[in-house]
Amino acid sequence: MGSAVGKAFILLIVLVTLFLWVGSAITKMTGGEKKGGGVVEITPEGGESIFWGKGRCYTCHSIGDRGSAVRCPNLSLWGDKFPLPIGQRAAERAKEREKATGLPYTANDYLIESLANPSAYLVEGFKNEMAVVYAPPISLTLNEIKAVIVYLQSQGGEVNVDAVNNPGEISKKFFDRIAAASAAGGGDPAHGEEIFVGGGCADCHTLDGTGSPFGPDLSKIGLKGAKHIQESILQPAASFTPGYETYTVIKKDGKEMFNESGKKYSGLKIKEDNENIEIAIGAGQILKAPKSDIKELVLEKNKSLMPDELVEVLTVKDFQDVVAFMLLQKKP
Amino acid sequence: MSKKITLALSIVLVFASSAYALEENVYRQFMGLDSRKLVWFLAQMHLYFGAFVLGVPLFAVIIEIVGWRSKDKRFDKLAYEFTSLLSVAYATTAAFGGLMAFALFTLYPTFMGYMAGLFKDVLFLYALLFFGETFCLYLYYYGWDWLSEEGAKGIGQRAESKNSMLHALCSNWQIVTKALGGIIFLIGVLFLLGIGTPHMRTDTRVFMAVLYILPLGAGLYIIKDRKSVHIFIGILLNIFGTGIMQMANSMAGFMMSPAGVNEKGDLTGTTWQVFENILATPIAIHRMLGNLAFGGLIAGAYAAVKFIGSKTEEDKAHYDWMGYIANFVAIAGLIPLPFAGYYLGREVYSTSAVMGNNMMGGDFSWTFIIQAMLVGSLFLISNYYLWSGMTRIPGSERYYKYIKFILFAIVISFAIWLTPHNLPLSGKEVSDMGGSQYHPTLKFFGLMPAKNAVVNLIILSTFFSFLLYRRGNKGERVPISKQGTLPKVIISIAGLIAIAIIGQYAWFLLTAEPKILDLPPDRAVYFRTIGWLLAAQCISVIATVILTLKDRGILAQGLYIATTAISVVGFLGVYGFIVMEKASPLLRNVAVSQFLQLISCIILVTAIDIFLFKGAKVIGELKWGKMTTRSQYALLLLSIIITMNMGLMGFIRSGLRSDWHIFGVMRDTSQWAYTPSNFTMTQMVGLAVFVFLIGVAFMFWLGGIAKGKDAEGKGHGA
Repeated sequence: MGSAVGKAFILLIVLVTLFLWVGSAITKMTGGEKKGGGVVEITPEGGESIFWGKGRCYTCHSIGDRGSAVRCPNLSLWGDKFPLPIGQRAAERAKEREKATGLPYTANDYLIESLANPSAYLVEGFKNEMAVVYAPPISLTLNEIKAVIVYLQSQGGEVNVDAVNNPGEISKKFFDRIAAASAAGGGDPAHGEEIFVGGGCADCHTLDGTGSPFGPDLSKIGLKGAKHIQESILQPAASFTPGYETYTVIKKDGKEMFNESGKKYSGLKIKEDNENIEIAIGAGQILKAPKSDIKELVLEKNKSLMPDELVEVLTVKDFQDVVAFMLLQKKP
Repeated sequence: MSKKITLALSIVLVFASSAYALEENVYRQFMGLDSRKLVWFLAQMHLYFGAFVLGVPLFAVIIEIVGWRSKDKRFDKLAYEFTSLLSVAYATTAAFGGLMAFALFTLYPTFMGYMAGLFKDVLFLYALLFFGETFCLYLYYYGWDWLSEEGAKGIGQRAESKNSMLHALCSNWQIVTKALGGIIFLIGVLFLLGIGTPHMRTDTRVFMAVLYILPLGAGLYIIKDRKSVHIFIGILLNIFGTGIMQMANSMAGFMMSPAGVNEKGDLTGTTWQVFENILATPIAIHRMLGNLAFGGLIAGAYAAVKFIGSKTEEDKAHYDWMGYIANFVAIAGLIPLPFAGYYLGREVYSTSAVMGNNMMGGDFSWTFIIQAMLVGSLFLISNYYLWSGMTRIPGSERYYKYIKFILFAIVISFAIWLTPHNLPLSGKEVSDMGGSQYHPTLKFFGLMPAKNAVVNLIILSTFFSFLLYRRGNKGERVPISKQGTLPKVIISIAGLIAIAIIGQYAWFLLTAEPKILDLPPDRAVYFRTIGWLLAAQCISVIATVILTLKDRGILAQGLYIATTAISVVGFLGVYGFIVMEKASPLLRNVAVSQFLQLISCIILVTAIDIFLFKGAKVIGELKWGKMTTRSQYALLLLSIIITMNMGLMGFIRSGLRSDWHIFGVMRDTSQWAYTPSNFTMTQMVGLAVFVFLIGVAFMFWLGGIAKGKDAEGKGHGA
């Protein structure tokens, strides 16, 4: 038995050694630990540390023969496909972008747009697989993104930190987007919009004139800040937009009014005259009740018509995405 | 009154919420050691021992049931021997668990404080389940003789009297337990179907129905004698063990896909939501199957070492058989494991595309290449063990000719599986390849359609090896038409199950709106094509069943295996590339269609195989013990490789969170907030593998001493 255990032990040593060799060889070939830096300055060096560290840009992009990723465009000279490094390529792409949109794009605008909204103008042959870099898990700050842009400028182009810090109208719009996401704890506004439209929010709320007027118009909700938006989603009854309070109709026999399915009639009071009261109980569902049947109209201070179970169905990420999208709604 | 209650609840909620809010992270060190590596090592050791302790009872109970029903004492003895490996391992698991908890609470106090606050209810239940598992494990192990058929014999008058009382008690309670078992089983079926159940994820509901409620009902229902009481205790042991595992996985899942809290960590939902986060159940399913395979292979290693060291033919025969059963169990766990892994991966993607990309194409892409090497080796060596086992089966020479083809298929599949999508190339190498960043041919092998196809082929090949093994010594068969009604019913039911599995998905793909699959209307043709393919496969099922019932079972099996291989590997393997190009969101549905067809193939062909060779003439009895020593080293290799693979997969799963303790909620601000290199991973995992296997060997030795003493006084022993 002793020799059997001994042989098994030798086998174990051999296999573990082989395992270590494989790990070592692969690490030599593909690079070692990817450490994120601390606070970075808006310089090419700061951007480089973000690109190859916290930003995880190297997951999809290579720069020349540095890195091995091919999922997204190489950002330096690379074969026939990329005859210009990104610093120069950005200027060429900006011209194309200007032609397509009619807006005065600069190389700087193109780079900023590529990070803030990568699907806007894809490089031919590539899909939009870029992560939202200002949302978890990457969660780059605005300064870190600026540093990356400066680093990309330095790849064959002219480094212009001032242009990054003082952007024109096009880039400012993207910076607002990033700031909104940061304020929401890191969220993807584009995905937040998908949830808003597809997840049922638009069934009751209006944005820029589209949607249902049953609930409050949210076109300016971003002006009220992240805290208000978060609270409105998580605890909708904490505060009401004037005119959107919930009422319950009590009949003269003291009972609350019920519809055919036995559901209570609670809703928004949308109209009241000498004879009737109109209560909206859902989008497009209006109850018209004669005042002669009604004993009183109870204002429900702790009850909102907004579904309570939203917190049950929204993941943390979805929640952040919706808040980020809401923060962008700042219609003047 | 109700308003007062609401107010009181609101106050409790407000205070509870603030208690969960995040604070600034505090980190500590112990003797200047790297805290993350220390916790990593301890967690890995706890998981290794825990997986063994949870995995072994799963098949020990099944083997005991087989022995009880067939009245074959060898199975009972084997089940006892497997269980005997547990007693020391259980204490060690608990010790490592305690050590890990101390390390976490002392070195990561903020993080653990938050987690403990959030999971406080779950943690109390977790502790209670430990009591349950401890009680059941020791009662199961030490009560083996007491609750056996012969338990009363030779123990003395007093024991006789006690056992008689027990017997009487069992008889009186039999009606009660049967009724109770039946009711619970029925509740389990309703729960499984989602009838009258509370709102929960489908996977969680199925997991709980299949692993808790149905076994509990069945366990109570079968109680009729002492042995069945013992089996029921074994079932309870598994239920408690699985519950513990699910709770631990819930915390691991929460760290990756937090639910029920907001971005500041405040509890905004319920404890159930926190518990039932998106990844909790997918991780639990994956781990469950992994534990089964792991437990089987570690037990197989024990048998292999015993075999190599055996002095007598009797011992060799016993340990050869034990090794075979252990490997069989491991293959049963290994075959569905890639699909559970795929499901877990898919849910990771749906939680966060960044985590998903990082997993398969980012920091961990090369780790997955190492994983492919390990998993491919597991399948290859398992097959080798089966082929070696055929040498002890008289008559199996007839099937040797197929082995070279199976080997070819597995080796080619293995090579494709571990082909990386992109190789680190220099500018010159790119230039030599005509400016392309991809190799002109190999680029296809690195993509998911190719990998999905070959993984399915490896599994199908392994299944085919097993079929050959099973029929090795079978001669003239009894036609199914002459076996009465049972085979006709069972095979027809298996056919219906196969049709249900494939058909429901075919129906879905043929009727789905493109929007549901994230596709524009003009891309509907791509998933309709797959739908029709599945529909055709349903026709193949019908033909297979008809042929089998017409006594053309071998042809029927061949037909269904061939159509599955053609559809899953040949057609969908290639079509996957077209889908990837034209309708990439559909790629996940291609993988699901492949999986469903493969599962249906395994179910139907196995059902046919059982009756095809039932009562067949035996060319010669299996010569247990007539096995090469090389094959035992194959078993040892398997145990080492699966241990490495478990460590590696844990590294990937945990590493996906990058620099977050709790993804999107609590950032890791420690000095160790970075993704370690693959070399660091192999160092840490290699160390854990080494210590674990040495520890296991030591425990087996300790168990051997105890068993030796035990055997002197009792009936059991090796």
